[in-house]
Amino acid sequence: MKGSRAVGYALALSAPLALGCQNMNTPIYFPSPETPLLEVTGMPVMNNPPRAENGLTLQFRNPTDAEQKTLDMQTATLGFDVPWIERDHVHIEMTYQVINEDSTDGTWSIGVDGANQYTKYDENIVAMTLGMGNNDPPQYIPLIPVTPQVLTAGQTVSGTVREDDFNEAELDLDAIGRWMAPFNAVLINNSQVNPIGLSMVPPNVVIPALIEVDVNFSADGAKMKCLYDIRVRDDNDQLLHDSADTLFSPTPTLFVPPAPMPTN
Amino acid sequence: MAALATSWLLAGASAARAQVTAEPSAVVFPDPNKFAHGLYTEGEVGAVAFFGKAGDDVSPGFAVGARVGFDLFRFLALQAHFVGSTHQVSGDNPLNGQLLQTYQALIEGKLTLRFGQTSIFGEGGMGAARLSTNALYALGVEPRYRVGFVAGGGAGLDYHSLSRHFSVGIRGDYLVMTNLSGSQELMATTYLRYTF
Repeated sequence: MKGSRAVGYALALSAPLALGCQNMNTPIYFPSPETPLLEVTGMPVMNNPPRAENGLTLQFRNPTDAEQKTLDMQTATLGFDVPWIERDHVHIEMTYQVINEDSTDGTWSIGVDGANQYTKYDENIVAMTLGMGNNDPPQYIPLIPVTPQVLTAGQTVSGTVREDDFNEAELDLDAIGRWMAPFNAVLINNSQVNPIGLSMVPPNVVIPALIEVDVNFSADGAKMKCLYDIRVRDDNDQLLHDSADTLFSPTPTLFVPPAPMPTN
Repeated sequence: MAALATSWLLAGASAARAQVTAEPSAVVFPDPNKFAHGLYTEGEVGAVAFFGKAGDDVSPGFAVGARVGFDLFRFLALQAHFVGSTHQVSGDNPLNGQLLQTYQALIEGKLTLRFGQTSIFGEGGMGAARLSTNALYALGVEPRYRVGFVAGGGAGLDYHSLSRHFSVGIRGDYLVMTNLSGSQELMATTYLRYTF
């Protein structure tokens, strides 16, 4: 029965191939929270465009004993802490949609902040700190800025904050939180073009991935709404699925920049 | 003199032969009884389209599949069917453009009616479908889990080549997907079959 043997071999060979192909790219999507809805009226608030923000925390499991032992060994070898949730194993992307619900044109912008297991960055806190002692309009410096765009009345626009944008933000946040990098220098500059401020970051650093994504949305001149989804590729199956696993719940420190020196 | 002439004529005649009383029947070519039957495999390509709730958010996609079956009789076969298809999320939502794959495995029964080189068939079966991502869950189309039950059937047309092993055909199947609430799929493929 040569034929059946050939079929058997074909099936045996194709099954792992099919499973392998399937596991190459299996992202998991997290929809934006329903409340608070990222919807703004477009009417200025104290002469500034209205803003709305929400976010979501990605739930990861705690490492197993064997995984913890590996992390401890890596930490001892490198001489600095190795994060459990690594940028190289957790890949984040955000897809968004902005809807102009008004009968007038308006300008919208999105800023993405977040936290890794060590540090949390909130552009509102940073703007508030930088604005202390002066009456200037707040200066928002997000971890990931999305270029403001004009949206005509009744129109919808979609976009993506790509994985490489998140990669850059994760490097910046780690540099700010653990390696004393000047936050405005690393956030404004693309590290691949100008690595200013990253001199203290060890070349063999293991960069933590974001475990929390916060979205700030503002619209000027029209009532608009923003919907988004967070897409995660989890190489090592670290997201919390199994009820037998326990939730990894670090307490990242909120980054607060030094207050500007008063000028006379 | 007459007797002499008759004997001369008969002496030159050959032996008597059977008389042809009707036209010979047409030659059956090729003979379907000589077509291979038994274990067979099929490779197929085509398209899968969703209807119902999932149809609003998933565009039709390219499908590749295979079947392995066995002819129990000339007219009845049992087969295992594996098919994968790739789609883009569509509709007015933030996931528009994201890719989504479906993987399906079914056990099917197949009835065939042959007319020489051509045959028509009907088939039906049930099995499981798996989605590669939870995109439809994120859109609120399906429950959390990505594996569900599928059942349905279809029909097709097969044309056998002059080789006793090969045939080609087209088929369409309509399947109900229980985990995608209120969703169905239409699968249309063309295939190449090899019978061992």
